[in-house]
Amino acid sequence: MQRQSAPVTDRNGPAAVAAVDLVKVYGAGDTAVRALDGVSVGFERGRFTAIMGPSGSGKSTLMHCLAGLDTATSGQVLLGGTDLTQQPDRVLTKARRERIGFVFQSFNLLPQLTASANITLPLDLAGREPDPVLLDRLITTLGLGGRLGHLPSELSGGQQQRVALARALVSRPEVVFADEPTGNLDSRSGAEVLALLRDSARDLGQTIVMVTHDPGAAAYADRVVMLADGRLAGEIHQPDITSVTEALQSLAVNR
Amino acid sequence: MSVVLRTQLAGVGRRPARLLLTGLAVLVASFVVYATVLAQQITERSVVGGLSGTPEAVDLVVQQGDVRFADVTAVGRLPGVAEVAVRTEAYVQTPAGDLIVSTDPGSGPLSTVTLSQGRYPTAPGEIAVTPRTVERMDLRLGAGVPVTVGEGGKQTLTVVGVVQPPADAGSLAYGTPDTVGRLTGGDWVDRIDLRLDGGGDSSGVRQQVVDLFQGREGAPEVTTGAQTRLAEARAAADEIDQLFIVVRVFVAVAVIAAGLIVASTFRIVFAQRMRQLALLRAVGAGRGAVSRALAAEGALTGLVAGLTGVLAALAVGHLIPPVASAFGSALSGPGFPLLEAGLTVLLAVLITVLAVLAPALSAARVAPLEALRSAATTGARQGIGVLRTITGLLFAAGAAGIAALVWSRLPGPGEPYNSAETMMLGVVASGGLAFVALIALGPVLVRPVLAVAAWPLRRLGPVGRLAVGGVGGSARRAAAVSVVVALGVTLVTGVLVGGDSIRVLATREAAAAAPADFELRGPTGAALPAAVTDRVRQSPDVTRIATYRWTDGVSIGTMLDAAATDVPVADVPRLAELDTVSGSVTGLAPGRAVIGQIVAELDGLRTGDEVVVGRAGRQIRVTVAAVLGGQAPLHTGILLDAADLTRLGMPAAPTGLLADAAAPGEDGRTAALRSLRAAAAGQPDLAVAVLADQYDQINDALAMVLAVALALIGLTVLIAVVGVGATTALSVVERSRESGLLRAVGMSRSGLHTMLTTESALYGVIGAVLGLLLGVPYAWLAVSAIGLDAPLTLPGFQLLAVFVVLVALTALAGVLPARRAARVSPVTALGTD
Repeated sequence: MQRQSAPVTDRNGPAAVAAVDLVKVYGAGDTAVRALDGVSVGFERGRFTAIMGPSGSGKSTLMHCLAGLDTATSGQVLLGGTDLTQQPDRVLTKARRERIGFVFQSFNLLPQLTASANITLPLDLAGREPDPVLLDRLITTLGLGGRLGHLPSELSGGQQQRVALARALVSRPEVVFADEPTGNLDSRSGAEVLALLRDSARDLGQTIVMVTHDPGAAAYADRVVMLADGRLAGEIHQPDITSVTEALQSLAVNR
Repeated sequence: MSVVLRTQLAGVGRRPARLLLTGLAVLVASFVVYATVLAQQITERSVVGGLSGTPEAVDLVVQQGDVRFADVTAVGRLPGVAEVAVRTEAYVQTPAGDLIVSTDPGSGPLSTVTLSQGRYPTAPGEIAVTPRTVERMDLRLGAGVPVTVGEGGKQTLTVVGVVQPPADAGSLAYGTPDTVGRLTGGDWVDRIDLRLDGGGDSSGVRQQVVDLFQGREGAPEVTTGAQTRLAEARAAADEIDQLFIVVRVFVAVAVIAAGLIVASTFRIVFAQRMRQLALLRAVGAGRGAVSRALAAEGALTGLVAGLTGVLAALAVGHLIPPVASAFGSALSGPGFPLLEAGLTVLLAVLITVLAVLAPALSAARVAPLEALRSAATTGARQGIGVLRTITGLLFAAGAAGIAALVWSRLPGPGEPYNSAETMMLGVVASGGLAFVALIALGPVLVRPVLAVAAWPLRRLGPVGRLAVGGVGGSARRAAAVSVVVALGVTLVTGVLVGGDSIRVLATREAAAAAPADFELRGPTGAALPAAVTDRVRQSPDVTRIATYRWTDGVSIGTMLDAAATDVPVADVPRLAELDTVSGSVTGLAPGRAVIGQIVAELDGLRTGDEVVVGRAGRQIRVTVAAVLGGQAPLHTGILLDAADLTRLGMPAAPTGLLADAAAPGEDGRTAALRSLRAAAAGQPDLAVAVLADQYDQINDALAMVLAVALALIGLTVLIAVVGVGATTALSVVERSRESGLLRAVGMSRSGLHTMLTTESALYGVIGAVLGLLLGVPYAWLAVSAIGLDAPLTLPGFQLLAVFVVLVALTALAGVLPARRAARVSPVTALGTD
């Protein structure tokens, strides 16, 4: 297959991260599943994009490939111009450590580390000192001031997810990937976290890519990319709950 | 079968490897138990088959009673008797040491020796010696040996042959009954072996022999050869049985260790299944049903692990004889001791069920709501309950109390002491209580030990900090496995420290009794001819020659008839190792003396006191420069300066000399011995003593005992290491989400690998630290309680080696699980529940 590395651009210039004709096949032979079937999409710098789609649409797979957590079968993942798809584990590890941040559905904090140690974990691994100004600002913004010495088991779900968010942001990564960040939270905590994600894109210029199946969550984003059966199925700019819900419904009808 | 049990067993069936991992410690323990049974079988069968001193041809044995030379002839004349052999032995002294001269026919079916050189003795005064005796005592063919018998009787024996005996101890000679009879000087013999005519009626002949001794006071027993051989074999086997009793004690400790490990692994496994158990409870399973199902699973684990261990031991046991025969030693097979096999499996099941009870009961207490919790952050409980704390403190107090009691009753130097056994029992009891306390309080102790021991690791960067955090984060688990490591380290430390103390003690005692490799001296107090001394000095084979004077008939304070010497301390390096109670041996000078312990105690003398020394009517006053822990050198009471001995009227000529071999090893020693003998040639009164051999014998025996003890303790250490491996493997499975996260936020594969291996090694560090902290004081207490006045030593390098080896072993145990975890992709790891 001819691989083309056409510059993926958007209105705000070159994309922070982009997929080019990305294919991911799980299994082989009769049981092979094409989770991604030639997806090309770019995510602009400094914007908050949501990836949506029904279960099994390939949205999580797309995120894992974009984040260098999983390898694609073919196609390219361009992170700031670097192709991640053909890189050895060592390079991917370094990229995850220095250029990518994560927020997970189940928080995934290390139970034996305090909130503050959890926040600085990626920087510790990279052997870097945190930027004290940024760290202070994050702690204040996220309302974690009095909780830094606590262990995750002593924090509420919303607090844990805010610690995870601080961890993702403190290393100033090129992209923060959030995988169903509100899935385990009550609606109030969920709204807080989503607002914080939106604000960090707006105020800090942080590129954020979020996978969700909740139209309410997607409505916080600047742009929603719809995925169905491993293919791109449209996008919405400046979405609201109604437009997202309608788009999802039309996807379900078309299937 | 209940639904609950079926669910659990189905889970086990899906992952049989997990079952084996849980039961690995029990598997190893049952392997060890059954291997011990088989080893005993192999040893006994091999020994009973081969080691009886009575030749096969012997039909009747007359022994244990009043048997005389005259009886030998009478028995031999009985009809039906084909041949008789008299067995008796004489102990004689030769210039080269003691020699045992035994009777033997020399040839024929009743002989126990085979001729390898020269001829077998036929005339009185002729002897044949064994090859090692030739080597050790320098008895060549044709040599005349002057021997001293009993109270001063002198004879000369002639070596006419070399024979191979059943076991060559190195001071054995054989001769005719006449020769031995003259040496013993008595009429009695130990026993008579009879061979009967072929097809003879053995019971008839036996009756005749019995009749022959009829009416004699102390009539001997008459037994058949078969009975005698069996009895001899039994005696040998009894020794083996006793040895194996000791082995079993160590095996029992290993089994207990295995029980602790299995309890800990079950706790981890059940913790991983907490949500599933909660679900069962949520859909209506009772607490009892859950705990019963878990206990049944434990029994199944025990059964599988026990069977596997027994089968593995059986396979190895049956492999040993063919392998041994390939290396030229004949061993019997262990057979198939089925009863013991059954008992071993039963023991495995029992231990596992006992171990699983507590974890099963606490797992069954899970709240049904636990199942509905989404996040897997069911944080492990860190601390311990009040009840457990109190129990632990009570046991610790008991241990401390008994230890204090033993401490308060320790004997002072030289005090009479006869309660060593009771005191040792106290030490063992205190140690046992301390260990129970350690099990109970372990989780509380882990963090402080970790904080100190892992300090350098924290400085090494995030990987080290995370490893420390990972171990500290599950303190109960770390404690459970570290405690078993600590048990192993405590035992190893005890043996090493105890062994080292006894070695130092032996060295000091040897320094007084055997300060050099060789001693050359004449009869008591007689001067050494100057020519001999000169010849020794010219020999290239000996070095560090020191002449000395030695005299008896000396009075020291109120002690009469003591011995004194002026052996020069500076010229005999080993004297520097003399054990002093006070003062220093180097303080020896004119007017200053070093006295032995007994002399000091008799008059209550201390360093700095003055004492009057007298000899042959003269008296001098000397100041005590040092008091020794035992005798003064060369079995004397006082070590004087040469000038003081002269003032006591002792002639200037030396009475003996000490020398070391110039070259190391057995060859150097033999060369030195020959050259000393050559120097003393023509002076029949001079004797050469090989002091070095005494020295070596002590060291060899000690090294042997230590090696055996360490090998047996190795079993416990092995099980501890297996436990660390299983714990790490299970922890890694449990924490795969955590591994996935670390990889996702940028930890490299090798970083994760290093972190998990380090965690595994940290279990070893905690265990080793706790073990050393317990082991060293208890070893010191035990050494003191034996009452040998042995010094308390700290074999630093050996203990450091133990620490390093143990940490390396535990790290090694974590390598495989760590590698597996590091290989899993972060997405898979994050996806696991």
